[in-house]
Amino acid sequence: MIIPALIGSLPRPVSLSKRLEQYYLGRLSEEKLEEAYREHTRRAFENLRKAGIRVITDGLYRWDDIFNPLIRFIDGVEVNGLFKFYENNFFYRSPVVKGELSLRENLIPEWLNVALAIKEEVYPGATLKAVLPGPVTLAYHSINEVYESLDELARAYAGVLRELMKELPVELVELQEPALAAELSRATKEKRDEVSHGLAKELIEELARVKDVWVVTYFGTPQVFPEGVILNFDLIDGTVPENYRGELGVGIVDARETRMERRDRLADRLRPLLRRYGKLYVTPNTLLDFLPESVAWRKLKLLGRLGGE
Amino acid sequence: MELPILPTSIIGSYPKPRWLLRAYNLYELGRLPKEDFEEAVRDASVAVLREHERAGVDIPWDGEMGRSEMTEYFTAKIAGFKFYGPVRVWGNAYFNKASAVSKLEYREPLVLDEFRWVRENTTREIVKVPITGPYTIAEWSFNEYYSSKEELAFELAKILNREFKLLEKEGANFIQMDEPAMLNHPDEVPIAVEAINRAVKGVKVKFALHVCYSNYYLLADYFEEINVSQFTLESANRNFRDMDYLKKLTHQELGFGAVDVHNPRVESPEEVARAIRKAMKYIEPERLYVNPDCGLKLLDRRIAYQKLVNMVKGVEMVRRELAKEGKETIPFRRSV
Repeated sequence: MIIPALIGSLPRPVSLSKRLEQYYLGRLSEEKLEEAYREHTRRAFENLRKAGIRVITDGLYRWDDIFNPLIRFIDGVEVNGLFKFYENNFFYRSPVVKGELSLRENLIPEWLNVALAIKEEVYPGATLKAVLPGPVTLAYHSINEVYESLDELARAYAGVLRELMKELPVELVELQEPALAAELSRATKEKRDEVSHGLAKELIEELARVKDVWVVTYFGTPQVFPEGVILNFDLIDGTVPENYRGELGVGIVDARETRMERRDRLADRLRPLLRRYGKLYVTPNTLLDFLPESVAWRKLKLLGRLGGE
Repeated sequence: MELPILPTSIIGSYPKPRWLLRAYNLYELGRLPKEDFEEAVRDASVAVLREHERAGVDIPWDGEMGRSEMTEYFTAKIAGFKFYGPVRVWGNAYFNKASAVSKLEYREPLVLDEFRWVRENTTREIVKVPITGPYTIAEWSFNEYYSSKEELAFELAKILNREFKLLEKEGANFIQMDEPAMLNHPDEVPIAVEAINRAVKGVKVKFALHVCYSNYYLLADYFEEINVSQFTLESANRNFRDMDYLKKLTHQELGFGAVDVHNPRVESPEEVARAIRKAMKYIEPERLYVNPDCGLKLLDRRIAYQKLVNMVKGVEMVRRELAKEGKETIPFRRSV
């Protein structure tokens, strides 16, 4: 069985970005901005339903990158500096760890409640995932001024995520963990320390005891294989290792190129995996933020057409 | 040609006046005739040029008033590109990322009119013409036509080389190639270096290379191989931390990013002076220019202006110290 799914973000619609711009200039009230978020989420869910995408996210319309605004809700973190997100023309604001980490009161559960209510109205058949950055990727992309090692920092982030996951109104949480496949690109900064693979596995498996977890990797083949999770592989820049036996998603359409894939070729590529695993989630290979909106939706429609094979 | 020691410059973009943004909107909607729009751009260009000069910047530009964005402006002028729609870069910032869908061809001059207008209207002897470099245009485009990014980047280098020769003929003496993407793929840096060197080949003007928000240790390995006389790099954004990569910059100049363009807090002149003194621990003042980290366009215009004013004031503080050592001017060097 093939189940089309979304991972991470959708391109933030330009119409929504214009509303945000007005809000930043003080020309739009918070209430009106909230209305805009809800209206765009509703449209996204309707389009995901039409495209046949069965497992969905809220598109991360309220997020600037996979770390923000989460890191603004963590005590001990300041947000500073723009860094390249891997080898993309996409930048994130970096967490600067200045003190011990702990979760602050935050809006993420409320935002998910809003998305859930909209989903129930327009696309009740879909499963909605929460999306959070994973502890390993957070650790690698932080400027650490406090913890003695990256292992310790990753453990501290996992503690924060554990608390947050308990508050979330959904059963399935997607952890964005590109660092399991591509620890830290030299395009971002030099690697000075690392999270040990054993600890990375342990931390994610601990989180998977709080909620069901879908671990999304991209920009390479993962080097860490946590058990008891759905693991997403990037088939454009990586592969599924022969000996992997867990549940899996495969990133089969290229979210970094506008050229459209051919459905028959994708189906050919999926066939041996389907024989091996029986059930597959098919997804974009990475965040759809890297594509123009119109192309991203064309690619999602293509994914939807792969469903059920 | 002489310049005061620690010449001050800009990187390129500057906040567009609100009335110009309105003109852009009206023009896009077809409600403003082309000639009126172009007049508005020219007027804004002079206004910003004056603003740079009033702040005391030695080597100004017009803040790219006529450019919608740093790659879109160029890809829209080069035949063979197609636009599918905007793509987010960070936060709420977008750009129209083009797709190369057929062979790229030089159709018209890219920045010649801008250069002519700025030169006619400036009171300064030297202006710096910023142009997006070949690798960055290739990297920030989708590629549906060429067999590799290398092929695409080299094609763009050929197109830019033609433009640079035109600018040289028109009297340009300082061109800055913006290559913020050249370190995106560590294994492709040699391609970027080759594309840059092909673009500048045979052109006898001063070239700077601007790279920002990247891992400069990676760039430092290539300082010697890149045929430019200056690297303009951002430093304020990273709080002037971790600058040891500058040890490898042994003969070319540094355009030192002394104010942060992503933070609305205006640095004091003392802070700027402190940062310059830190840079001088790596680079002697005769090889040091001072500029903001990057283009100022995302800031409020008043803040951008104040940042330039304080940057120049900070430079003047250090200049007074250097004057005591008899260091007051440097030659304008086309090559090093």
